[in-house]
Amino acid sequence: MKITTRRLTSPPPLVDHDPPLAWISEDQVLIGFGEALRVSAGFGTDRFERAEDQFASWAGRCDVDDPIEGPGTGPVAFASFTFDSRSPGSVLIVPEVTVGRTDGTWFVTTIGDADPSAYLAPVDRSEPASDRPRFAGASIPDVAWVEAVAEVIDRIKAGEALKVVMARDFALWSRTRFDTRRLLSRLMERFPRCFTFAVDGLIGASPELLVRTDGARVESVALAGTAARSDDPAADELLGAELLRSTKDRFEHRLAASSVERVLASLTTSLTRDPEPTLRKLDNVQHLATSFAGALDTPISALRLAGLLHPTAAVGGDPTEVAIEMIRELEGMDRGRYAGPVGWMDAAGRGEFAIAIRCAEISGARARLFTGAGIMADSLPENELEETRLKLGAMMSALE
Amino acid sequence: MNFEPTDDPTDAILLDALEPGDDELLTLDELAETSNISPVVISMLVREGWIVPHEADGGERFNRADLGAVSAGLRLVEAGLPMAELLDLARRMDDAMDPVAAVAVDVFARFVRDSVEASAATTSEAAATLQRAVDEMLPATAALVGEHFRRLVVKHATARLIEE
Repeated sequence: MKITTRRLTSPPPLVDHDPPLAWISEDQVLIGFGEALRVSAGFGTDRFERAEDQFASWAGRCDVDDPIEGPGTGPVAFASFTFDSRSPGSVLIVPEVTVGRTDGTWFVTTIGDADPSAYLAPVDRSEPASDRPRFAGASIPDVAWVEAVAEVIDRIKAGEALKVVMARDFALWSRTRFDTRRLLSRLMERFPRCFTFAVDGLIGASPELLVRTDGARVESVALAGTAARSDDPAADELLGAELLRSTKDRFEHRLAASSVERVLASLTTSLTRDPEPTLRKLDNVQHLATSFAGALDTPISALRLAGLLHPTAAVGGDPTEVAIEMIRELEGMDRGRYAGPVGWMDAAGRGEFAIAIRCAEISGARARLFTGAGIMADSLPENELEETRLKLGAMMSALE
Repeated sequence: MNFEPTDDPTDAILLDALEPGDDELLTLDELAETSNISPVVISMLVREGWIVPHEADGGERFNRADLGAVSAGLRLVEAGLPMAELLDLARRMDDAMDPVAAVAVDVFARFVRDSVEASAATTSEAAATLQRAVDEMLPATAALVGEHFRRLVVKHATARLIEE
């Protein structure tokens, strides 16, 4: 199979052609069309390695013509993995056509006889008539979710765990197909500092970098501990200062940062980290953030690193195994790929993975939204319910 | 507040009138069992201010009005309204109605109580008149507010249906 990467002299349209595959961040853009390879990664904690092996084996048989040899050029895979190793749906897809930007250079990669010209031309599309998102129910009624959260709090108080993240979902329907192109555009505009992604129907904008690697170095950012933002700069600064001082939020953040540090410390020789959490201000919320960076002892692919880091305490809990078992027992739904790793990887193993939060699974005129809340000993179920209500409402509005 | 206990004997009468009647009082677990709502959710409704427990027999107790409130909430949830949205509506209702309730109490104090006290021959006569007034006015207020809100809901629902 011939794979060809060529420079582009001007930026192509990004989402105007309804790309089924997308990764858009401040540093990297990858937009994919068609499927040259699809790997269903199956179950188990080794599903990351299996998918990587199949991708590497396939790429190794290809004839690659890539004069750029930058991150994301040549054969590149988009991947989205389930939160729970027992859940079906982990997938890795290599598009037939990839347009992207890496290190400031725009390029297009084609596989086989795929013709990229249609995707490189601007498109003048009128806005199709669209319906609003309509509520269709939830996997678990919120009264039952509140009772489950109360049970988690009791178990945490009994010493079974320190933190458990409990998620819930909304099913939505619409009288017209959900316009994924418009959703991606909105997410890019509204969350320019986030990782906007689309992989096999999972679309979202995540603020949380799980891992980035160029093959030699590795980076990650732990986000946990959240406060609102204010339009008034003084009030916004006060909210941020309170978040930095908050004992509860700092403790929750420490759990998330420790879960990242434990893994990266075992893989690197010179891991550095922010000595204190910093504020990461997003469009509608601000988080406590701790950045990690280090040199890998031996090269490990981005996908394999994602598998080693997943699930962090930011989306699972602490201790991890106890939290996962509690989630399986009490959450009352399958998260699918929500809160799992989502990102891209090239044939050299370079890539970026975010944690798939703030996302929706979209299929035609149906959608499923997810959100979660970190439950600690001093949590109150009604506060967690309200937090998830606000998050789900914001995501519903993004679909309008 | 207008009804803080003072040396005025009518204060005690009014406070009595505002207390729950001779209803059977229920513990939280009994209320949960009677209403078929879990104690976890009842506790949440207490913290949210939906129902306010009464101190009796050395603990928190709930009366028939509390049972009515949680049962009404349960009917809404069973009819399809998510609990999270119901709680949000309740908070909004509380925010909107609290200042109106304060004004209503002030109006009562200035135009009913003051007038009764001016015209009553004795303190005990004033107290009895005021108790009858409270007994009449509280349920009338509840009916009035309930019907008013029902009409508002119908008005907005009708407009929404026409719009769509």
